[in-house]
Amino acid sequence: MHEAAKKTFRYVASFLLIVTLNFALPRLMPGDPVKNLIGEDVYVSEAVMEELRTEMGLNRPLYEQFTAYIGDLLRFDLGYSYHLHSPVAEILRERIVWTLLFVGVSVLLGAALGTLFGAYAGWKPETKANRLACCGFIALSCTPPYFLALLFLEIFAFKLGLFPFKGFYDVPTPGSIAHHMFLPVTVMALFSASRNFLIMRGSVIQEKGQLYALYARAKGLYDISILFRHVIKNASLPIITLLALDFGFLFSGALFTEIVFSLNGMGTLIYDAIIGKDYPVLQGSFLVVALAVLLANMLADLAYAIADPRVRRPA
Amino acid sequence: MMQEEAYIGENTTQESKIRKSTIQESIIQESTIQENTRQWNDFRSLNLDLDIRKYGKNLKRFNRGGLFLFTFFLILALIPALFAPYSPTERFIPYEAPSTAHLLGTNDIGNDILSELVYGARISMMVGFASACISTLIGLMIGLLSGYFRGTLDELLMGFTDVVLIIPKIPLIIILGAFLRPSIWILILVLGLLSWESIARIVRSKTLQIREAGYVKSARCMGFSPFHIMVSDIFPNLVHVLLPKFMLATASAMISEASLSFLGLGDISMKSWGIMLSFAFSRGGFIREMWWWYLPPGVCITLCVMSIALIGFGFEGREKEKRGVDAE
Repeated sequence: MHEAAKKTFRYVASFLLIVTLNFALPRLMPGDPVKNLIGEDVYVSEAVMEELRTEMGLNRPLYEQFTAYIGDLLRFDLGYSYHLHSPVAEILRERIVWTLLFVGVSVLLGAALGTLFGAYAGWKPETKANRLACCGFIALSCTPPYFLALLFLEIFAFKLGLFPFKGFYDVPTPGSIAHHMFLPVTVMALFSASRNFLIMRGSVIQEKGQLYALYARAKGLYDISILFRHVIKNASLPIITLLALDFGFLFSGALFTEIVFSLNGMGTLIYDAIIGKDYPVLQGSFLVVALAVLLANMLADLAYAIADPRVRRPA
Repeated sequence: MMQEEAYIGENTTQESKIRKSTIQESIIQESTIQENTRQWNDFRSLNLDLDIRKYGKNLKRFNRGGLFLFTFFLILALIPALFAPYSPTERFIPYEAPSTAHLLGTNDIGNDILSELVYGARISMMVGFASACISTLIGLMIGLLSGYFRGTLDELLMGFTDVVLIIPKIPLIIILGAFLRPSIWILILVLGLLSWESIARIVRSKTLQIREAGYVKSARCMGFSPFHIMVSDIFPNLVHVLLPKFMLATASAMISEASLSFLGLGDISMKSWGIMLSFAFSRGGFIREMWWWYLPPGVCITLCVMSIALIGFGFEGREKEKRGVDAE
């Protein structure tokens, strides 16, 4: 129970830190906070600036600003984008569905691929094929995700013309979406698989030395069933934690992949916001991404407790 | 630059330091419980066909390849004038295809791409190493303090570490970068300040082990100050844990730098590989199918990061091999 309380406290602290960062950044950074809050390139006259300053409460004391900010958050009011002429929350709601779909599919695929191959590679680390796979996955994990995406786009979309190179769909049918999503999802799944592979490999190498593996062999089980019935259960525990932490990492990777493939998700939104200096959108995106990662971590903690009884009942 | 030179200088001394510390450790190991696991390792490798030693040898081979590549990139970074045919700012006819005069052609403003590539090595590697230095230093201090003093300080510091660990780094760096319009130093600082958590954790767990060792206890009995004990007794034994972590931090910092540059958040006055790649993407190298423009910087990033990561893995592998798989 003590452990659970500690965990909860940490999540609350992380949540507060994220919100506070989001509140403090535009006010701390060099430059006029009004400019920082509405975006750099927006042209407004001095009078309007003053009006905005009072409207946003920037001339009030900090704690009042903070409570007002929290209040806005609770009403899902993330500010107004003067570039895109609509509330940030609305823009984000449109975009995040696609990104979540994209990231979710790739994470699951990558986890499945990485775990299976990793388990096998860890079981027989000295065979030639597995060493080759290990080299390959190390190389993949060292490639910046967007470079991999660029290569795939160049080879499969431009040179071979197998896949479209832009957007989520031509007509909104599942077939068209799957066709458009194939390349980006492959890139992200490979990328996520490379990380899972390396962790799983190490973890299986560690686990197969345990006594229960020896006992399973003494019972006369085949290699394959020792691996898949006994070892893999224990070895995949670190993957659960990794998946959660990775979710944040993959989310950022997905941003770059989206830019390369011109998918209209969070990535392109952030890219355009950086170019246009559209700070409200940037802040809103950061908040949403951070909260998504936080949520993923909480889910992973729960899943971990279900998968590993030792966490539930500390000996 | 300075970081790299210092790194070369230290390489040999660090080697000998590691060797010394391993001798110390093996003495301790033999006198304590390690005997048990070693017997078990031997037994396992005989009976279970799980040869750890072979696995270690493979890792060493990786390591050698990594070292070779790394030395190559280091030489590129230290004396670029030797390899680059032109100055990276000299201008020729733009958008030229590869020829004998320009082995990799020229870019949109007519700079020789090969020269740019060679000079980019220094900047990319400097960002990686400098920010890894910062994060290793912070991680080392936090880990040492919380591992040595334990108690409330430990709870606080580790709680803080956990909280920071959850915050997604790249989006935060993107926001900071957008507000600060980064020079290369700000980039280094931000990358360094945001990636120390895993180092702090591993240093802490190692410190918790070491602080119970006989020599630390006797040093405490003799009245040495905690600071002295941490610096002269505990730190030397942490070097071999820190080194692989340092290399991996360098590798990930280089990837982050490349990614940020791709978003246009890099320092344009200092052209790293990431910025070259970003320009190739945004200024028509990609649409004109100039593979000689966008391929080389990407391949260089990948190879360089890989060589550094392989060296890191190699160190880790050597550790594992030495004290059995259960060491972490």
